[in-house]
Amino acid sequence: MTTPFPNPTRFLFFTGKGGVGKTSTASATGLELARGGKRVLIVSTDPASNLDTVLGTELGMTPTPIAGVEGLHGMNLDPDEAARNYRERVIGPYRGVLPESSVASIEEQLSGACTVEVAAFDEFAGLLAGSEMADPFDHIVFDTAPTGHTLRLLQLPAAWSTFIDENERGASCLGPLSGLKNQQERYQAALAALSDAERTTLVLVTRPEEGALEEAERTRVELAAQGVENQLLVVNGLFEPTSAGDELADRIARVGRAALEHMPEPLRALPRIDIPLKAHNVVGLEALGSFFEGEAGMGDADEAPAAAVGETYPGLGVLADEVAADGHGLVMFMGKGGVGKTTMATALAVELAGRGLPVHLTTTDPAAHVQNTLGADVEGIRVTRIDPKAETDAYRQKVIERSRGSLDAEGLALLEEDLESPCTEEVAVFHAFTRVVFSAKREIVIMDTAPTGHTLLLLDAAGSYHREMLRNAREGTNVGTPLMYLQDPAHTRVVLVTLAETTPVQEAAHLQDDLRRADIEPFAWLVNRSLAASETSDPVLRARARAEAEEMKNIQEHHASRLFVVPWSAEDPRGARILQALAGAA
Amino acid sequence: MTSTSRQFNVYDPSMCCSTGVCGPEVDTALVRFAADLDWLAKQGASVRRYNLAQEPDAFAREETVRNVLIQEGVGALPLIVMEGEVVSRGRYPTREELNGWAGLGEEV
Repeated sequence: MTTPFPNPTRFLFFTGKGGVGKTSTASATGLELARGGKRVLIVSTDPASNLDTVLGTELGMTPTPIAGVEGLHGMNLDPDEAARNYRERVIGPYRGVLPESSVASIEEQLSGACTVEVAAFDEFAGLLAGSEMADPFDHIVFDTAPTGHTLRLLQLPAAWSTFIDENERGASCLGPLSGLKNQQERYQAALAALSDAERTTLVLVTRPEEGALEEAERTRVELAAQGVENQLLVVNGLFEPTSAGDELADRIARVGRAALEHMPEPLRALPRIDIPLKAHNVVGLEALGSFFEGEAGMGDADEAPAAAVGETYPGLGVLADEVAADGHGLVMFMGKGGVGKTTMATALAVELAGRGLPVHLTTTDPAAHVQNTLGADVEGIRVTRIDPKAETDAYRQKVIERSRGSLDAEGLALLEEDLESPCTEEVAVFHAFTRVVFSAKREIVIMDTAPTGHTLLLLDAAGSYHREMLRNAREGTNVGTPLMYLQDPAHTRVVLVTLAETTPVQEAAHLQDDLRRADIEPFAWLVNRSLAASETSDPVLRARARAEAEEMKNIQEHHASRLFVVPWSAEDPRGARILQALAGAA
Repeated sequence: MTSTSRQFNVYDPSMCCSTGVCGPEVDTALVRFAADLDWLAKQGASVRRYNLAQEPDAFAREETVRNVLIQEGVGALPLIVMEGEVVSRGRYPTREELNGWAGLGEEV
């Protein structure tokens, strides 16, 4: 047995860009600790969790024993379910006591994005601060959502504590948190646990890629500023060609080595664990058991010529043809973190601009760096981003300005105080998102979205807003809510980006279900970084390519009427030239 | 300056918070009313505010309020109850009205 952590702390947080292998690394760590005789709980805080699949056991909101491993438990901290439980705690006692219309109105009010976020956070704080659920475990391993969402979760204890402290008039805008306002001690205990190096380790998981390493560095800085100083780096998916002479394999290895050489210095100073690229997906206890071992695992044994595997599919160029024909509209790239949404959105924008069409390229991901991906400015592309902090400040300013005429000094002071509520951020971001959705009536808007969970919360907000608008609208008047535009195929094309691997495909299918529940039908799926669409003779890469071809067949048969495929880019996909080449490849 | 010792209970409809800043649009009428209540409290009145979404217990406990909800539905909110009597329903009153009910009898 390999124990990657010589002196593991009670809390272990695994974080990093989506798709870097947080769940595999966290699960393998939990498994090792349990096999060493410890009682271990693995918790996923990702609203789009796939911990069930990786551990091979169906999980819920309470610790579930993992069959076959003494002492190992798993649970999903599902924000939607947390919010449902919270709502039921509030509403349950009044069913049959208050009339049904009153109960329904409470329920509707407790359905917003803020409730969802707060309820999940409250469960999370409970695990850190100590609770009946948490106390029996020697170690609690957190498999977190992609960076942006997780940073927000880790910063909330401080945000709410400060707001409660500073709000002199009894904190009128605690929003949905008011039911929890006596729990401030708990948030402070959670905060203390996070910043105690004896109790908490932050494990930054990354791949040997420049973008993932840069994101790891940003997370390191932000969380160190929050007092989370005990940090460790895991580099997952290191690749060395089995034999010389395969062009793609050589380039992948070279790009990886170069990324590691240029790693930001402070990251280099952290203790580090390297994990080789596996020939097969890490799913199930058996695969997890050998996760930390040095062997890359067996690839294809046969000698095969360098050739693409499987059928060919249309690339981004075909998508560009259709968007260009409309001349306006919204293309939203959605999917789990790390599948390449930013790269695909930027490549499509470059392709359209190359045809002389003006494009508005934007992102809702607080952690995204579209401009980095694009490199130098490209003529015809206007880049914007929805920055939560800037949007919140602008929103506060706007609301105060608008109210100046109708409120006296006291009223304004009260409003200003309430606008300090952390809830305001959700509202401000939603307003900015709405503006972008509407602007696609007149221009081509390519939108890179935040990883799934975060985006679902945004759509949820669009849903509550939609219902509220409809309720308030007079009969016979026309209301156009952002949700209506997102549902209209003539206005919006949702492209689900995924990798052709078991877990990402399952995750994309879940996302598709969620979208359909909101009456949004995805336009197409897009498989990014396809080895099957590249040419290679490397045994490990070929084994992965063959599995991919199967997955793509599965996508077409079960999930998507239209499928686009973009090959693995042997170069780091940044800058207009490389992106346009990617868009042109089919 | 006269003062009042009357008790006002305000029963709000379900909302995110009493100024509505975390709803889809900020309603300045809500903010103004919050400021008016602040003013009323400064005149000595005892003011309590309940939000249906956050403190349903207050609505269930008070027979007057529960009966209004049963007979008229949530459309009767906001409900202003002074010394146990319903003085206003279905809208937010002005500062002048609050002043009158409180028996302050001065210019506002």
